[in-house]
Amino acid sequence: MRAAPYDHTQTLYRTLLVFATVAVLVLVIGLIEFVYFEPPGKVSGAKATIVGVYNYDPNTAVTSGSDQSEFPRTQQFAAVVDWSSVPPGLKVDARWYDAFGDVVGRVGPTTADQLVGHTIVPIVVPPGFHHSLPGQYLFVVERFEGSVPVEVLARRIVRVERT
Amino acid sequence: MRTSPPAANPHSRLRPNRYWIAIGVAALVVIALGASSVLNYVYLDTIPGRASLYGLLAVALITMGTYILVRAFDRDPQARRKRLIRAGVLIGLGVLLWLLVIDVFVYTQSAGPSVALICTAACLPTTAIGLYVVRRMDRNEKEPWRLVLVAAAWGAIVATSLVIWGETIWEVSAERSLVPGPGLDASLAFMAGVLEELAKGAAVVLLFLVMRDDFDDVVDGIVYGAAVGMGFNFMESISYMTNFYSIFSPEGFGIYAAGFQWYARQGLGLFFGHATYTAFIGAGIGIARQLPSVKQKAFAIVSGFLIAIAAHFSWDAWTAFFPIQNSLFGLVEIHLRTLIMTGPFTAALIALLIFGIRYEGQALREQFRKEAESGQGAILPEEVAILASPWRRLRQRVRGFEHSGPRAYFQIARLQSAQLDLAMERWHRERREIETPLEAEDTLRQRVIALRHWVAS
Repeated sequence: MRAAPYDHTQTLYRTLLVFATVAVLVLVIGLIEFVYFEPPGKVSGAKATIVGVYNYDPNTAVTSGSDQSEFPRTQQFAAVVDWSSVPPGLKVDARWYDAFGDVVGRVGPTTADQLVGHTIVPIVVPPGFHHSLPGQYLFVVERFEGSVPVEVLARRIVRVERT
Repeated sequence: MRTSPPAANPHSRLRPNRYWIAIGVAALVVIALGASSVLNYVYLDTIPGRASLYGLLAVALITMGTYILVRAFDRDPQARRKRLIRAGVLIGLGVLLWLLVIDVFVYTQSAGPSVALICTAACLPTTAIGLYVVRRMDRNEKEPWRLVLVAAAWGAIVATSLVIWGETIWEVSAERSLVPGPGLDASLAFMAGVLEELAKGAAVVLLFLVMRDDFDDVVDGIVYGAAVGMGFNFMESISYMTNFYSIFSPEGFGIYAAGFQWYARQGLGLFFGHATYTAFIGAGIGIARQLPSVKQKAFAIVSGFLIAIAAHFSWDAWTAFFPIQNSLFGLVEIHLRTLIMTGPFTAALIALLIFGIRYEGQALREQFRKEAESGQGAILPEEVAILASPWRRLRQRVRGFEHSGPRAYFQIARLQSAQLDLAMERWHRERREIETPLEAEDTLRQRVIALRHWVAS
């Protein structure tokens, strides 16, 4: 009796299933990572107040003008946070992210009562650059658990124009 | 009374539904494109938002042109020239309109039309080389250029249009609700993996459903998938190059930033990035093409999509864990990062490709032998060993060139190609994977015999 010829497509199919199993593992690890950094049910109910985003003079460390959402590239700016709006013992920080997701200015993390003297959070021009890079900037006040930020208490988006 | 020989697989349960599935997928794509563009127009009161609606016309022209182009080769040969001209005009208009919309209106805002044009010109040769290499990977029966280019055009134009709105909604809502950092990165990576691979994969699914005669197995799937990925990568490269140029040019680094994007996407990432991801979708569909049960077919297709999404996700989510130093060693790190993160997926794909080519070669050798034994004259016994080896086929063509010049080279190439088509047809018929009647095989056989007389003369 002659055996039926082996169908190699089944080998390819099984190999594909093995790769797909690895793919599912990768996606599950991604999901675990997401849940670790975005733990469900960890909302404290606390809110922070961002007073506004203003023109900023790095030489005098003083803000000026009115609250704005758009700035020219040559103008430095800073957010002003009312730390008294945050429960004093809460571990928090405030930071600026540029369009590439890089941190370009921050205070903290520490308890909110220790940040009372740091109401102005300016952006920092990256080393080697003359001005801020254009694009969307994100300012957040975050609550920490241990060394991990787990909740955004306030956020503000501003745009830096190309011109 | 039966007037023609029966199909190889007269009991295929999938056949009656195949074109309906294709129409359904195409309708979903058109609805998604329409909804995306209208929403952009209504809610994004910007030039790019409006450009998206005008871009619909270009998409419609290219869709119609592609349909006519495919018909030109599949139907009455006498009407071919007329249809080719119509398709050429429509696709040309669509491409021109699209370039006008994208390059002039959208990129003019940030980098200017001349920069957009230079970026496009820089990406064209590398993408063309990539497509050439991808097509050459199929050592036995190369895919028609028209389908490879259609696949790449879909990736560049249709897939990129499909994801705009979905990614905008996801990105905006994630940025406004999640904590910036790895969690947000993971969310955006899921977004890119799922939406972009579904948009690109739709092209491979449609090719499989509509052009099954040119979609033989896993090797063809990898070729079409990689072509779609390269088209997507082409448009994405232009977008990133112009954007980075506009961001960094006021600081005097515009050319370097655009150049780096070009190298990362058109050099280093040409085969490692989108081409690898979407090739997995093609591999899944190609393997499904030859599986006997509907359940296995479904598993294979879903597996291809899952691997593509996971590969894309892992790159987008975890590049931040491989920071690049701002030093000379950073140049080495960039290459190592790509090799470590996407390399395993590309290696797995190459393994599938090598196995696929090997199995295809074995199957074709068997069919060459059977055809030669039939004594019908299309394949002679002494030709079996030559046809079974790509190198020996090349050597035969080169000998023809040395003996009678370039014309002989191309004549022998046509003969070999027709013989391979015949063996492929026989292989699918034997496996009951083909719908064409037996007379189609006889037509191929007669064509081989006619070409043989032509070459001999």
